[in-house]
Parts: sequence; C-alpha cells; structure tokens
Amino acid sequence: MLVGLIVLSTSIVLIAIGLYGLMSSRNIIRTLLSSEILLNASILFTFTLSYLNGLTYPPVIYSVFAISTALIEVVVAFAAVILYFRSKGSLEVD
Amino acid sequence: MYLTSDVSSYLYEGVTALLAAFAIASAITIVKQKVVLYSAVALAFLGFSTAALIALLSPSAYGIYSVFHVLLYVGATVTFIALTIVLFRGIDVKPSPSAGVALGVVIAVLVAIVTAILIYPSVQASSTVPPALSLTELANQLLDAYWFPIIVLIVGLITTVIEALALARRR
Repeated sequence: MLVGLIVLSTSIVLIAIGLYGLMSSRNIIRTLLSSEILLNASILFTFTLSYLNGLTYPPVIYSVFAISTALIEVVVAFAAVILYFRSKGSLEVD
Repeated sequence: MYLTSDVSSYLYEGVTALLAAFAIASAITIVKQKVVLYSAVALAFLGFSTAALIALLSPSAYGIYSVFHVLLYVGATVTFIALTIVLFRGIDVKPSPSAGVALGVVIAVLVAIVTAILIYPSVQASSTVPPALSLTELANQLLDAYWFPIIVLIVGLITTVIEALALARRR
C-alpha cells in the first residue's frame, strides 16, 4: 500500500513537471520532451491505480498501445521539427 | 524470520522511494537543462526509472511490461530523439520569458493538487493484489478483443519505418 502511494505521488509530481515544461519552454524539442514526461507519468499513474484496484491485464494492454503510438508520434513530430528548422532556421516558437 | 520480513519490507519501500526521487530528478533535468542532448539522456533515465517503478509495484503482474517499456521506449524512442537532437548540434535553449514560467508553475501546482484531492480518498478504500500475468492470456486478449487496433498499429509502425528512411535520405 505504501509503495503504491509513493508511486502515485511520483506520477502526480511528474505530471506537474511535464505541464510546467510544456507551458514554460518555447523550444520545440524541449516541448516534445516535456510531453514525453507526461506520457511516462500517465503510464505510471495507470499502473498504480490498476495495482491498487487489483487489475493485471487492462493497464498492460493500454500501455502497450500507448507506448507504440508514442513511438510513431515521436517520429512524425521530429520529421515536422526538421522541416520547421529547415524553413525557419530556428527551433524557437513565436 | 519476522525481523527479516520487516527489514525486506523497509528495503523494498526504500528502493521504491529512491527510484521515485531519481525519476523526479530526471524530469527536472529534462525541463531545466540548457543543452537539449542532456535532456534526451535524462529522458532515458526517466524511462528506466519508470520501468523499474512499474516492476516494483507487482513483479509477477507487471514485470513483463516493464521489460517492454525498456526495450521499446528507452531502446527505440529515446534513442531516436537523441539521434535527432544530434542533428541540431550546438543549439541551446534560450531563457523563457518569466510570465510563461510563472503560469506554468501555477497550472502545474493546481493540477497536482486537484489530482491528489480527487485520487487519494478513493485509493485508501481498496487494496487487493493483482494476479500474476500469463503471456498466453495476454496474447489471447490482444488477438481476440484488440485485433483491429493491432492492425492499425502495425500499419502505423510500417509508415514510421518508411518515414525514417525518407528522413535518412534527406527527402
């Protein structure tokens, strides 16, 4: 139970840090990295709540899809970043 | 025997707390580090500590997923991010305007407080241990109930490979 609470608190803190990174940075790559923090936090959050409710399969299936989709999203996002850099010569968002 | 069990319980909780602190420190490094390549390296450490925390929750139920997390997330996603950042070598992060930072802090703290208020009361009500994961059962569930999302995922991953090849050829 205590372990679950520690991990749950960690995921809430990670969500806060990810949101802070999204709001405060104007660099595109830093924004993408902050969204990755949010992804890790949400997966941790899902697993902790499932652990506390005695569930095994739903979080695993959900997270397998989430991680695989995140991989696709990262590749597409970085392709867009490269095109943005080639056209603007900068990674700063106006 | 009782003392040994007690000590192992303290050790288990201590290691979890240590990994939690490491994950938070990695996340702060990602947000605050000026060189983005170091931020990507910190993201790898965040992925490792997340996988370890998931495994520590229930090794028999979530151990296999934590291996998957390390292999796919840290092995593929973070490596891809780090390699892409190398393309932008020498680009550092400029300091942000203070208004955005203040707004970010306020929103992050508010979200954390609201989430904690909503979640913690319901957490204390239930405490059952999840059953061990069976790979056969997991495969049956994935192929029976989630066959269409799997096909969509496979198509998405194939397009990702094509896109990566196009990027590598600079087209």
